[in-house]
Amino acid sequence: MQKLTRSFNASSRDLLFATLLVTPALAVLVSLSIYPLLYSIQIALQTDGPAGPTWSFANFSRLAGDNFFLAAMAHTFIYSAFALTFEFVLGFALALILNSTIRGQRVFRAAFLIPMMIPPVVVGVVWRLMLNPNFGAVNGVLRQLGINTEQLTWTASPRLALAAVIAVDVWQWTPFVFLVLLAGLQAIPQEPYEAARVDGSNAWQTFRHVTLPLLKPAILIVLLLRTMDLLRVFDQIFILTEGGPGFATETVSLYIYRAAFRFSDFGYAAAMSFVLLIITNLISAIYIRLLQSREGVA
Amino acid sequence: MNGHVHTLLCPNNMNLTKPIVIIAVLLLLISGCRNNSKRQIRLAVNVGVEGEALKQAALDYEAQTGIHVNIAAFPYANLFEKEQLDFNARTGAYDLVMLDDPWFPRFAAKQFLADLTPLLQKRGQNQPDSDFVANSIALCRHPYQTGTLFALPYVGNSQLFFYRKDLFEKHKLPEPSKWDDVLSSAKKIQEAENAAGNKIYGYVMRAAQGNAAVADFMPIFWAFGGEMFDSNGRPTVNSREGVEALKFMLELGKVSPPGYASFNADEVGAHLLQGTAAMSINWPAWISPFDDPAKSKVIGKMAFTVLPGAQKPGQAEIGNWLIAIPKDSKNVDAAMDFLIWATSAEQMRLSAQRGNPPTRISIFKDAELISKYPAYPAQLHSLETSRPRPRTAQWNEIENAFGIFLSKANSGELTAEDAMNQANAEIDKIIQRQ
Repeated sequence: MQKLTRSFNASSRDLLFATLLVTPALAVLVSLSIYPLLYSIQIALQTDGPAGPTWSFANFSRLAGDNFFLAAMAHTFIYSAFALTFEFVLGFALALILNSTIRGQRVFRAAFLIPMMIPPVVVGVVWRLMLNPNFGAVNGVLRQLGINTEQLTWTASPRLALAAVIAVDVWQWTPFVFLVLLAGLQAIPQEPYEAARVDGSNAWQTFRHVTLPLLKPAILIVLLLRTMDLLRVFDQIFILTEGGPGFATETVSLYIYRAAFRFSDFGYAAAMSFVLLIITNLISAIYIRLLQSREGVA
Repeated sequence: MNGHVHTLLCPNNMNLTKPIVIIAVLLLLISGCRNNSKRQIRLAVNVGVEGEALKQAALDYEAQTGIHVNIAAFPYANLFEKEQLDFNARTGAYDLVMLDDPWFPRFAAKQFLADLTPLLQKRGQNQPDSDFVANSIALCRHPYQTGTLFALPYVGNSQLFFYRKDLFEKHKLPEPSKWDDVLSSAKKIQEAENAAGNKIYGYVMRAAQGNAAVADFMPIFWAFGGEMFDSNGRPTVNSREGVEALKFMLELGKVSPPGYASFNADEVGAHLLQGTAAMSINWPAWISPFDDPAKSKVIGKMAFTVLPGAQKPGQAEIGNWLIAIPKDSKNVDAAMDFLIWATSAEQMRLSAQRGNPPTRISIFKDAELISKYPAYPAQLHSLETSRPRPRTAQWNEIENAFGIFLSKANSGELTAEDAMNQANAEIDKIIQRQ
């Protein structure tokens, strides 16, 4: 009996102690996540009038008529679609090649990971220098090869700038796709492959009916993470072109930054952020649905 | 077993007082850090040449008076953000702020800054003395020139025209005083030098969207008779004069290095220092690197003069750095003492020796300083005939939109007419929103 009371006391004391330990984390969560989220909803739904802030959807309706926002949205989609396609195809190909036992594969694997480890801002600065039309390494090499680089102004050309920033993203993030898919490939057990061999399936059939279905979780993860990252891209573009020339590489994140911190239009910036958030969520949901349903059919 | 774990996690001899005491001590320590010493003022400055002299002055002030000047230095864009956030939140984090003059109308209109006149009167002065350049003081008043004094000018920047006097002499060209001469001289220099195997461009400019393109366009725009707004405050950038000015800028672009539509100050500076461009509009801070053998291939070959004219006399864009006291500062008087000290003729002379372009006439005319900085007479002339960017609280938005279309025209995406028409429409939208 005495033992029971003691353990009861002890557990209530444990509970109190545990609560005390959790409180700081909870306070941080509320003050840094929940409160700012609610506050951003509030400012997105308020506009400054002569008699103080009034509640309205004005910030959201303004978006539809804002040519800059619509152009930035289009750039964001083009950027994301092209970068994702190239990163996925290249990363997948690399993973398949380096999953087989070729000579020096460990060196290749390590080398391919380097771009991913460089902070995006540094990547931006390095590529900005390399793409400089006059002093940059890229045009320097092309000139050595006898190519006329007079018109290849990269980040200064409205036709090439978006392609250039996409190429930099592909350079930096293909390794991530490669890494995740390689890990996925290596986690596939040997038995299904042996069974396929016994059944006499060729390389394509093995890939289509064994590798792909078993790799689906890794593919899902990598597409999801890359899409979310691409839709909110900011740092490299900010350093590389700051959205230029003109408006050619301005993405939604850059425009949100400008509205908030250069024009002090926090309500409008918050409204744009919510639109971007909703779009990101919708696209992510479509992905998950698509891949899950295919899995069901297979 | 269970008991064993329990003793490990919460030994019987430990009660709850211990963690509570630890937390309390931590809280005390944190609050202890907020000791509000009266002998301390906080100053927000720009990282880079413009802020450097003021930082040095702050250290001198501390040595002389014992008042600690706490310096927070931020890069250009961050400085605006920090100040704006601090003013909005009314935290009074800074007692003095350095600000670029186009930010001033916004801060003044929102009543973020302290009125300096009563503080001057308290010190026996009715207004800033007449040694300050009138155009610089005009920037510190809201409304422009006539209104309340909310700041004092510290960095007396205004644009100058930079050109290679050796190339002008070599090709027997007149000193550039008209924009048409600039273009024809640029073509001649580029053709002749390229024919001789030297890769030199006739001109170089900044046409990256935003501040850069607008700053390099305004002197051409004004010289051609363009005006951003009519008397009712409606935009008029797509006037005949405006379109002609932009067409002229595109002509200059043909003798500028490829890719100039994304150039900023660094790229322009690199071309001038490497000796691969013959002319440019630039700011006084870029004068001294030309004498630095580590950076410059054109030592002694550059000349600096006032901006060329066209239909109208040439006018530079003024770009002064001002110092103001936030209204929510808790040390307004200590801040004012520092501000008066730092902008006094004596201190400004010292900071001029450290490379800061002054805002006082007497410093520009100081013989000793002129021998060190031969461009001073041109700088003073430029400053005294300079023009400010339009004094509107929405200048950041307007400059952003205008700069995007200027950059689009320079990168070949839009014609001059289309760029100006679209810029006009976007600027009008910004004005209407207010």
